[in-house]
Amino acid sequence: MTLKSRFATGGVLALAALTLAGCSTTAASTTSSVSTPNKVEPLVLYAAEGYDAVMAKAFTKKTGIPVQVDDDSTGPLLTKIAAEKNNPQWSLLWVDGDTAFASLDKQGELLHYAPTASWNTVGKTLVPLDNSYDPTGTTVMAGLIYNAAAVSSVPTTYQDLLGAAYANKVGMNDPSQSGPTYPFIAGLMNQLGGQASGIADGEAYFTKLKANGLKVYPTNGDTLHALETGQIDYGLIQSSAATGETIKVKPTAKYQPKVVYLEKSTLLPSVIGIDKGVDATQQAEAKQFVDFALSPAGQAVMQTGDASGDSLFWPVVNGVTPLSQLSAFPSAYQRIDPAYWGPLQAQVVTWFDSTIK
Amino acid sequence: MSTTAAQARRAADGEPETDRQEPLLLVGEAIATPARLTGDVTVRQSIAVTTWRRLRRIKPLTLFWLLIVLILVLPILLFLTVAISPSLLDQGTQAFTLSAFADALTGQLLVGFLNSLIIGIATAVISAAIGFALSWIVLRTDAPGRRIWTGVVFALLLTPSYLIALGWERLLEPNGVLQVIGWDATGLRGIFYGPVGIVVVLTVKGIPFAYLAISNALRGLGHEYEDAVRVHGGGRVAAMKAVITLLAPAMWSALAIVFAESISDFGVASTLANDSHFPVATYTLYNAIQAFPVNFPVASAVSWLLLVLVVLALFAQNRALRGRSFRVLGGRSRPAIRHQLGRRAKVVTTVFLALLLVTALGVPTFGAVAASLIDGLGSLAGTHQLDLSNYQRVISSPQLSQPLMYSAGLAAIAATVTIFLAAVCARLLANSGASVGGRILDLVLLAAVALPGIVFAAGYIFAYNLPVVNSLGIHIYGTTALLLLAYIATALPSTSRVLVGTMSQIQESMAQASRVHGSGAIRSWLSIVLPITARPLLTAWLLTYTATLLELPVSQLLAPPGSEPISVGITSTLGKYDFGGGTAMEVLAILSALVVVAVAYALFRFVAPAGWKNIGGTR
Repeated sequence: MTLKSRFATGGVLALAALTLAGCSTTAASTTSSVSTPNKVEPLVLYAAEGYDAVMAKAFTKKTGIPVQVDDDSTGPLLTKIAAEKNNPQWSLLWVDGDTAFASLDKQGELLHYAPTASWNTVGKTLVPLDNSYDPTGTTVMAGLIYNAAAVSSVPTTYQDLLGAAYANKVGMNDPSQSGPTYPFIAGLMNQLGGQASGIADGEAYFTKLKANGLKVYPTNGDTLHALETGQIDYGLIQSSAATGETIKVKPTAKYQPKVVYLEKSTLLPSVIGIDKGVDATQQAEAKQFVDFALSPAGQAVMQTGDASGDSLFWPVVNGVTPLSQLSAFPSAYQRIDPAYWGPLQAQVVTWFDSTIK
Repeated sequence: MSTTAAQARRAADGEPETDRQEPLLLVGEAIATPARLTGDVTVRQSIAVTTWRRLRRIKPLTLFWLLIVLILVLPILLFLTVAISPSLLDQGTQAFTLSAFADALTGQLLVGFLNSLIIGIATAVISAAIGFALSWIVLRTDAPGRRIWTGVVFALLLTPSYLIALGWERLLEPNGVLQVIGWDATGLRGIFYGPVGIVVVLTVKGIPFAYLAISNALRGLGHEYEDAVRVHGGGRVAAMKAVITLLAPAMWSALAIVFAESISDFGVASTLANDSHFPVATYTLYNAIQAFPVNFPVASAVSWLLLVLVVLALFAQNRALRGRSFRVLGGRSRPAIRHQLGRRAKVVTTVFLALLLVTALGVPTFGAVAASLIDGLGSLAGTHQLDLSNYQRVISSPQLSQPLMYSAGLAAIAATVTIFLAAVCARLLANSGASVGGRILDLVLLAAVALPGIVFAAGYIFAYNLPVVNSLGIHIYGTTALLLLAYIATALPSTSRVLVGTMSQIQESMAQASRVHGSGAIRSWLSIVLPITARPLLTAWLLTYTATLLELPVSQLLAPPGSEPISVGITSTLGKYDFGGGTAMEVLAILSALVVVAVAYALFRFVAPAGWKNIGGTR
């Protein structure tokens, strides 16, 4: 070994020792907080909602229970949860869509909890019978956002989009990159063929839509950009993103975004679930958090966190008014069964990517 | 290792020095051999003394290997194990199976595999060629505008591939900026959305690594070799050939690192490659961990295949470098001569540099401007006015300042630790043809690059979140410390490779001469080796700092809940369709890093002893 490397190694070891000393301190402090009796344990919230941070703060203020938020996109959070499977580190997961929760429950990872909430009609359709997870609000897939300055035809059903008036003018997101888009495709498959007749009718619909010039962009933001640049005049995106665009953009002579809902809208709830693996203290605290999210006070906080995005949800509990910019809840809606449609995701997305995109 | 007469002779003869392998760890021995028990106090003292002595006997190199095993080998091995034994990490029920390979090996993966290989080779060769040309122009000619390139290279290093792709998209899309100003971009769009575009984006990301690796080595190459060729009647081309040959370790380092970075790239695989129906190997992996439930066994099986590509790359490198010595940096190295370019050559180099600047940095800068500075550029919406509101909004936002400080602090610590480790690695890699340890290290380091970051991070969770690790009282997962170790492990391969060129050049005879004249080891190192390597080490530090500051996949999976690295903050802002705000945060983070680069080089210029600046100087 050379002189240089010998000294370099020495330096490294000193630093590594420092680093490890740092970890053991952290570890020690965690352990001591766990062993204190009548303790308050921090909750670990994995969340992909625009209002998660303000909610954590409000909850801590109300209860004194600290909440550590890991705010990220749904994809990386689920990857993390899967990698932690033999030793879960999260207390609560809060993301859009219930398919992941159905799958986690199937693997026995969720603590079932029936909160003391007064569900409204939509809420009742969304709550699973076994209370393995809980919806906290809902958006729908898809909101049809269109540029009223460029086009005058407004569709009312999905079949309308196959007509000549919409040729080469419609865009949607890619389900392999956009979380809310698989539920949309599955919803149409559910509506057209359903669990009885399978996915063939849905596939036939998308094939026709493609033949009529459907364009596919990566995510909500990209589809909106295509609409703003006139590459398309109609975009099928998540209702909160569509409504958010109408709030953010000042209408001009060339661009006036408006939103309608076609028959049927598929519910895409924001869902919260509790990790079964955490200790009794954290389980109790996590239940408090779920109750808080469904209380009028909690719902009000959720409506402040991300005013032109995730806060644009329709309530699933009674006594809460949605934000005023949100249009009336679409009357023709459906819930798709996550236990049935969840396992089909890989197959459908692969089919869509190779055939439609 | 002590400097023996034989070594000194070999080094003086210009023979490559063979690094002897140190005996492996003695900690176990120290614990297993009890001290003789004679009396209570004395026993304790004697045990303490013995243990201390034994501990002191542990060679630094042994601990270095231990650290490499902990931060690199263990996470990678555990991740690879998932493919054959999913039940071991609770990722399935089978204790041994090969079904993940069967699931992974679909027709699409095989096509993707071949595509990745071609893309990887093309990107590596183009990046290395541009890296060499750029190093030569900047260091060995008087081309106008050469001084800005150190800054440009770091700016490129910092540029996220998202901004590169965004810039191209905004230019080429239907109704995009090119079309608005009257150019029909349809043809160009057809070309760009496919392998050509993928290679362009990956090359832009590869050039900084190639340039840093090659320019470090070029600085250490005196002018005597070119002179020798010219004296013996060789022309300019022959002299250039000799230079390229002497820079072989750095050139191969550049090729290997860019190749590994390209085949593991996830961002381009999931966007440009996916959108243009051009499957690459990581795409199958992407599908396996993007859909829920996450399928780690399939992702792991694909990783095995990526490793096969890495082994091929290393094999090529070893064949090319075998049995030669590249030690050109000794006591008699001459300063290089800066060529005075003729008028025609000046025009050619200027055009080359300008084109490179525009494609590599201009396009992403345009993307950033389009997204964050001009309201609704190229679209029907917005005022199309220059508008600083995005910057005003984010600069005061707590989502920017706190995460940026957190990431900057971690990046600085990671960079400092990494350059020490990387110097050792580079020294071992420089001898990798000769020692088993060097070869293994080479494989481990390149494997870490060839695995996409998200996979590498998942390996960290597997390794450090094992219940058995917790039951030992170690709770390191979910702490900043583990994030830091992962940053170091992520940065180590590329930083080491950037230093390989320099480390393969140093002739041992100088340090040995210093020892012979009575200097201690430390003094010899400080007075001989440090001055020679100061500048490459500074470059390596800055490389690690800038690469770590905006690192995404490891940050996403390993950041402790409650502490948000800047890259995660930016991504989640972009994810909420706030392109303006997210891009403004990104631009501010990049600018902050460029300030660090500028301050570091200014300090080096004004504060470092004159002797440190000799290497790479020109007459």
